[in-house]
Formats: sequence, C-alpha cells, structure tokens
Amino acid sequence: MIGVARFLQQRQDFEDATARSYQREIAARTRLAQGVHPAAARTAILSQQRSRQVLRDEISSQTRDTALLVGAGLIAGLTGAALLFTGLISSMRRPLEDLVDASGRLAGGDLDVRVKVGGLSETATLGSAFNEMAEELQRRAGERDQLERMKDEFVLTASHELRSPLTSVQGFAELLLLQREKLDPEQAETVEVILDNTRHLVRLLNDLLDLARSDAGRLTIKTAASEPATLVEDAVRTMRGQFEARGQRLGLEIEPGMPTIEADRDRIRQVLVNLLTNANDYCPEGAGIEVKARRVDADIEMVVSDDGPGIPEEQLAHIFERFSRGDAGETQRVGGTGLGLAISKSLVELHGGAIEAESTRGEGSTFRVRLPASASPATPASHPTATEAS
Amino acid sequence: MARVLLADDSETILLLLRTRLEMEGHDVETVVDGQGVVDAVRAATAPHDVLLLDAMMPRKSGIDALRELRAAGVDTPALIVSAHTDGGDGEEHEGLGIAAYVTKPIDFPQLFTLIAELT
Repeated sequence: MIGVARFLQQRQDFEDATARSYQREIAARTRLAQGVHPAAARTAILSQQRSRQVLRDEISSQTRDTALLVGAGLIAGLTGAALLFTGLISSMRRPLEDLVDASGRLAGGDLDVRVKVGGLSETATLGSAFNEMAEELQRRAGERDQLERMKDEFVLTASHELRSPLTSVQGFAELLLLQREKLDPEQAETVEVILDNTRHLVRLLNDLLDLARSDAGRLTIKTAASEPATLVEDAVRTMRGQFEARGQRLGLEIEPGMPTIEADRDRIRQVLVNLLTNANDYCPEGAGIEVKARRVDADIEMVVSDDGPGIPEEQLAHIFERFSRGDAGETQRVGGTGLGLAISKSLVELHGGAIEAESTRGEGSTFRVRLPASASPATPASHPTATEAS
Repeated sequence: MARVLLADDSETILLLLRTRLEMEGHDVETVVDGQGVVDAVRAATAPHDVLLLDAMMPRKSGIDALRELRAAGVDTPALIVSAHTDGGDGEEHEGLGIAAYVTKPIDFPQLFTLIAELT
C-alpha cells in the first residue's frame, strides 16, 4: 500500500513540474514572438527542454522503482490475503461441512437434527437459519402426524360404529330370506339386493379398516410355519365355484417339496383369494386362469395368471394404489372395493415379501407374490403336483 | 339344544340373535348389560351352556362381567361378540377362558358351529 501512495505522489510531482516548465516555455515563446531578447529566449527554451528530458528520465526511473515496489507489495498482500483466506476458509469449512451434513440428514427425514451455532457471524447466521428451518419442519411434521393419527382413529372408530347397524341390516335380511316361502319372488329378489349391497358394504368396511390399520402401523400378522401348497389349495378351493359359474378353466400347478413359509394363513389366503377374485371378475366367460406355486431362489413364488383382456399400461403403473380400478363401466359390472390390491400389497410386505403385476393387452395378466421361504428343511409334499379343474 | 345366556345393549341385535338362535332350537335368555349377566348366572337354577356376550356394553362390559364370573369360579364357556375384527386384546383377555370372538356382522352358520362345539 505504501508503494502505491509513493507512486501516486511522484506522479503528482511530475505533473506539477511539467505544468510549471510548460508555463515557463509559454512565457519564453511569448517573449520570442514579441522579439524581446531572442537569443536569451532561445537559450531559455533549450534549457527548459533539456530540464524536461532530465525530469522525464528521473520520473521513468522512479516509475520502475514504483512498479517493483508495487509488485513486491502486491505479492506480500496476496500472501497475506492467502494466509487470511486460509484461516477464514478453515474457520468456515467446519461449520459449512456440518451444515451440509445436517441438510443431508434433514432431507433424509431426521427432523431432530440441529447444528452448533458459532464461529464467524456469517456461518453463525446460516446455522441459526438452518436450526429455525428444522424447528419449523419438525413442528409441521408433528401437526401432520397428528392429523394422520386423527384420520386413522376416525376411520377405525367409524368402521366399528358402522358395524352394529350393518349387523342388523344383514341379519334381518338373511332372516327374511330364511322364510323365503312366505315371500313372493319379487320380494325375495328385493331382499337379495339388500343383502348383496350389505355384504358389499361390509367388505368395503373391512378393507377400509385394514388400510387404516396399515396406515397407522397397526396392521399386524400372526405368522406360523405354513405349507405354501396348502395355502394355495385352500384359496383355490374357496374360489372354485365362482370359476365354474363363469365357465372359466382353472389350472393348478404346485411344485412338490417346497419349504414352508412363515405366514399368517388367513392373510395370505386373503391375498390369493383377492387375486383369484380379480381374475374371475375381469376375465370373460371361458377364460383360462393358471395358479402356480414354486420355489424361486430363497423365496416361494405364488403366481396367478390369466389369458384375459390384460391391463392398460397407464393403469398397470398404479394398480397397487387404493381405489385404482378399471374403467367406470368395468367397475360397475365387477363390483369390488378397489382396495383389494392395495391391502394385498401391505399384507405381502408385512410378510417381508413382494407383489408385482405384469400384463400385455389382449394376452392376459400375471400377478406374482414372493414370500421368503423358511430356513427349515423342505417338507415332502403330500399334495398332487398338478390338478386341473374347469 | 343349548341354554344360551345372551347379552347385548342393542335391542335390535338382541332380537336378531335371539330369533336366529331359537330357530336353531336353542333356549335363550337375554340381558342388556354386564351386571345382568352376573345376576342371571347367579340366579340360574340350571347352569347355562354358553355365554354369548357383547364385548362393549354400558355400565359393565361383557369382559368385566366375565372377569367377575371367572373370579367367582364360574367356568361356563364364553363367546365374545365384538365390532373389532382383530379379536380382543390378547393380554387383557388372557385367563378369561374366551372360547372365540364373534365378529360383527355375525356369520350365523359359523356361530352355530361354535356353539355346537362348546356344548
């Protein structure tokens, strides 16, 4: 900095000197023009020019010195600055790294994360801003959780409260049908409509209850070592009548000697019956449905496939979401709640398994349920490897 | 035929259950709360074969009545009717000798099978 000041001062001096010598020159020229002491004036002008040259040389040499000085100053300054920045950076790096780390954890859902506020005022400001943001996020998450809990509680309570009146409606409708001989055909049919709709309501209620439980983390399973073959056969037996009623072929292929699975039998049966019901409902009369159970790596795979109309691609992408269903016309015809596959997915995942769907338009659909096989040795299958029913 | 003590706080459900059970040939006595259950069991000249109790009733629930009866040494088989589909609270109901939970809406053929098995 000192170098620069000196340079500026010298430059000012040079300019002042130049200005003074210029004034003298003008004066001399004026005298020359006026014809006063021409020889003296010439000498004066030459002397002026000479002295200017000397001054220029001096200034140029001083400029060199100044440049050197400035350079040296600059280097010193830069070194100082570098040292300063190194200190600055290292004192900022730690808090910034902490912030980056905390942001990552916050984004990952750890709303308890806070950073230590301190150090430079800038990083301290950043730190407290981050902490305020985290507080706010946590507060909102808390509110949202509470709303979610209230919603879950509401669905649970509502479905319990609805059960008693539904019990009466269904029970008395059944009672009427038990005395069918006292009813004329039209009355009997009317009661059947009441009963059908009541059963549909009950299914919807059960499904909603399952989903509310699932959302609340209260959908639980009670597992026991189970034979996959028995589970599949039970589900098929339950549904056989429905397939026969629609003239659909039902093929069953069970690999012998599969290991057991840790399963809640009622729940896995519910999943399989749901898949079979969908195939039964969405496939036309005379369609073919194949049910298979086999071992795939460390899993047991249960497959329900059909040669029905298939599922449109855009629908297939959302098929396991609640109330994701076929087009309105289909839905009307098929009935169902639109919740079956969403619940099936929750149930399979509770078993540590996975469910997936694939489909080709016009060729059919395949649903695969994979459940982890038990480590226990394979039990010999006492079941037929393949049976065919139509 | 079984002697069934039936408890429910809803007149409609009582009527429904009573009608269906009587149609099956059972002998049905009805009460409307847990205290009624305790009183009816104490007053009975011939013991009941089955207790069919609603889990939730005002004043004294089916569960509380059953707890009181079990403490008094009554070991009549009990079925609990519940709006809850997940059965009862395992730990809370332990040792009460609950044979089964009957979920609303009632599956009557299943209920008749249960009663037949218990008597």
